[in-house]
Amino acid sequence: MTTILPECDIPIPQRQPHIVCHDPGNMILPMCNVQTVPGDMTERGCTFAGCRGVVGGPVKDVIQLVHGPIGCAYYTWGTRRNLSDMKLHRKYCFSTDLTEESVIYGGAKKLLNSIIEAHELFPEGKAVFVYSTCVVGLIGDDTEAICKQAQEKIGIPVVPFHCEGFRGVSQSLGHHIANRTLFEKVVGTEEPAETTPYDMCIIGEFNIDGDAWIVKPLFERMGVRVLSVFTGNASYNDIPPMHRAKLNIVQCQRSSTYIAKMIQDKYGVPYINVSLFGMAQTTEALREVGKFFHLEENAEKVIAEELAKYQPGIDYYRRRLEGKKCFIYQGAPRAWHWIEPMRELGIETILTATTFGHKDDYEKIMSKVMPGHICIDNPNALEIEEYLVKLKPDFFIGGLKEKYLTYKLGIPFINGHSYEEGPYAGFEGFVNFARDIDVAVNSPVWKFINKPLEVS
Amino acid sequence: MARSVTINPPKMCQPMGAILAYMGVHGCVPLVHGSQGCSTYPRYNIARHFRESAEVAVSSLAEDAAVYGGAKNLTEAIENVKSRINPALIGICTTCMSETIGDDVKLISKKALAHDDTMRIIPASTPSYVGTHLTGYDNAMRALVETLAVKSEPNNKINIITGIINPGDIREIKNMLRIMNVKNIFLSDISETLDTPIMPGGHKSLLPDGGTEPADIIDSANSLGTVAICRAAGSAASYLQNKFKVPAVLAPAPIGVANTDRFVQNISKLSGASIPDEIKKDRGRLIDSMVDVHHYMFGRKVAIFGDPDLVSAIVRFCAEAGMNPTVAMTATKHKDFAPDIKAVNSEYKTDMQILEGTDLYEFHEVVKTYGAELILGNSKGKDVADDEGVPLVRFGFPVYDRVGVYRYSIMGYNGSIYLLDQMTNAILGHKYDPNKLHQ
Repeated sequence: MTTILPECDIPIPQRQPHIVCHDPGNMILPMCNVQTVPGDMTERGCTFAGCRGVVGGPVKDVIQLVHGPIGCAYYTWGTRRNLSDMKLHRKYCFSTDLTEESVIYGGAKKLLNSIIEAHELFPEGKAVFVYSTCVVGLIGDDTEAICKQAQEKIGIPVVPFHCEGFRGVSQSLGHHIANRTLFEKVVGTEEPAETTPYDMCIIGEFNIDGDAWIVKPLFERMGVRVLSVFTGNASYNDIPPMHRAKLNIVQCQRSSTYIAKMIQDKYGVPYINVSLFGMAQTTEALREVGKFFHLEENAEKVIAEELAKYQPGIDYYRRRLEGKKCFIYQGAPRAWHWIEPMRELGIETILTATTFGHKDDYEKIMSKVMPGHICIDNPNALEIEEYLVKLKPDFFIGGLKEKYLTYKLGIPFINGHSYEEGPYAGFEGFVNFARDIDVAVNSPVWKFINKPLEVS
Repeated sequence: MARSVTINPPKMCQPMGAILAYMGVHGCVPLVHGSQGCSTYPRYNIARHFRESAEVAVSSLAEDAAVYGGAKNLTEAIENVKSRINPALIGICTTCMSETIGDDVKLISKKALAHDDTMRIIPASTPSYVGTHLTGYDNAMRALVETLAVKSEPNNKINIITGIINPGDIREIKNMLRIMNVKNIFLSDISETLDTPIMPGGHKSLLPDGGTEPADIIDSANSLGTVAICRAAGSAASYLQNKFKVPAVLAPAPIGVANTDRFVQNISKLSGASIPDEIKKDRGRLIDSMVDVHHYMFGRKVAIFGDPDLVSAIVRFCAEAGMNPTVAMTATKHKDFAPDIKAVNSEYKTDMQILEGTDLYEFHEVVKTYGAELILGNSKGKDVADDEGVPLVRFGFPVYDRVGVYRYSIMGYNGSIYLLDQMTNAILGHKYDPNKLHQ
């Protein structure tokens, strides 16, 4: 038996198939991508979050308009650290702010007026993205028709995303909806001004804390022309010509393989999966891209330059971190992206968990971990606490919602969603990552934990 | 506001406030009846403001609930929270989803409990398309007293309804009541639950120490009176008055001289307590601090946004300190807001613009016209302040781009001193030639 029922889950045994102890002789994957057990204190978000927050949100020069009551717009206002060189998408929050009247009589008119007004006030917006929230799906506003009408009126693209929060089981469906919508409504609507034999898109790179600003130049230095980054620091205008790439590389293989596959199927553009984290994986990605474009020598030159510059930093941190054990809990791909990079620092990952991983994510995890590794699908707060207490990792890479619980238990923590002081991608970013782990693990603050005050 | 589109709203939806109300009750697990985002987003906001974990259950409504209703999910969620955590209370808040599909939460939760259950369920109706986070706080607090409060013997205590304020504020108000020797029941009390110490021997993330005991909420029907220092969250006070004849005093937040005086007088009147010298000395120190800085602050234009009771109290305090408040803005509409501001305008000959139910885009436009040397508000005011090239003194919720704001009080005489010092230091750091600050 390799599935586990932790103590906290005894009353809800349906959680057992989601928690697996890795046994190479009897390998099974955690049950995944199914409905959450109601009330289990899940960390999951909704489909709207995956669509608006993850994939659509980073597009920097569009009006990101949330159609629904105020909360959903507010909570996605500048929260994810998907940086850009323009202020529109993080500085401003646009909402139709639906109230009871709209819920009864429909929100169509308010949406149409909102699109027109937002465009008038912010003519620099190159398009309007309209995201539907739960209530819009329930009251049945025909957002397709309204957006079409608005587009005719204002003369810029108005793109509706049907990403009501209640759809699907997690954020994951929202990623898919965003991919499909952008593919069907935007990709291929314009041809690039020019093409070269070296055109490539970096897909599933959201410029968290500047990741894209680290990885994009690596490929450019090799002689590759990056046609588009989907969607980190992306302009709306970067999306239409994506179909003319010669190659697509996919970094976040949960949220964005969809569009790479759709472009491949319709336009015949091949894609390859890459991990742009850690020295070895980034090296491998550059080599693969070099091989595709017959730029092998250029790739080796960039790799050599980068390693000369950044490997000493990694060696330094490895000496300080060797032998540590960690947990990684991320949305999905970063749970497996980071297992090998941690080993480059001498760190073994003893538990991984993902919020919305699918089968392929767990296959990737299991192909990388040691026997005895614990893997949890859609973990809840009680499970996380139980395993932190039971296995006492030297540090935990998770998200903000888990951060302070971990601190209270006296366990060092790294925010893997938004990072502490990123970027973390590429060679240079990995040195930042290693430094942040060193800061977390070796800070003197931990020595005061569990030292009670006694009468001297 | 003539626009249909809302741009940069400094307001959240009802479940956010309801969760905060529930988090101030000991042994209460908040349960959001809605989509998973409806619990995750508020949790994220709480975590980044208080730098604490905030554990919230959710019924994880999905497509089937949109068709068949959410009763099955809610029932299962209640059962699972009960069997795993066994809290004293589950505080339910609804969402736009569950309200639109029309689930009868009271009925569902009644059915979900066995006859011999000691656990209680608080069913608050908090649709996101009505009001704001503050409405949600008010609805959850009223649901708590409606469900729990029972008349028995007089308890000689004063109920305090706080609204959404910080742990530091609650500690300061408690400190004042302790000095006045007035026993109290806070409705509710996040001072420990959302500001937890790291202690030897581990941590309780699910049912943290502190918070108002459910027994005290039951007992709130027997108090001498209720003082709501957030009038927008005062409906529980009115309920206790109407149902149990507990006198309700809905008064401004105790910030500044006049409003803190009024708070102390209200407490004194309801409880019969005298005003000790220690309180009078604190008041004297506030006045001393105002005198110390009046040359720096006189006529300074200040624009303020936030929840209505906090804004109107701070506006009055700014006027008391000789400043020139130019814009008072709240996204949550409340009947007392405009009269409060107009009263300050007439008393201090200021000419404040009153913005109610609007957004920060409008606030910014009005600030450009009427001027501000200082902005007061939560972290969402940063861009307005930066664009105007003036400092932002942070108060309210959420404040995520500075540390520790939740730890300190801006309420009572002591908290007002702290707020004034923050404002003055912001002006000194921003405006003053250091050569002029040596004496």
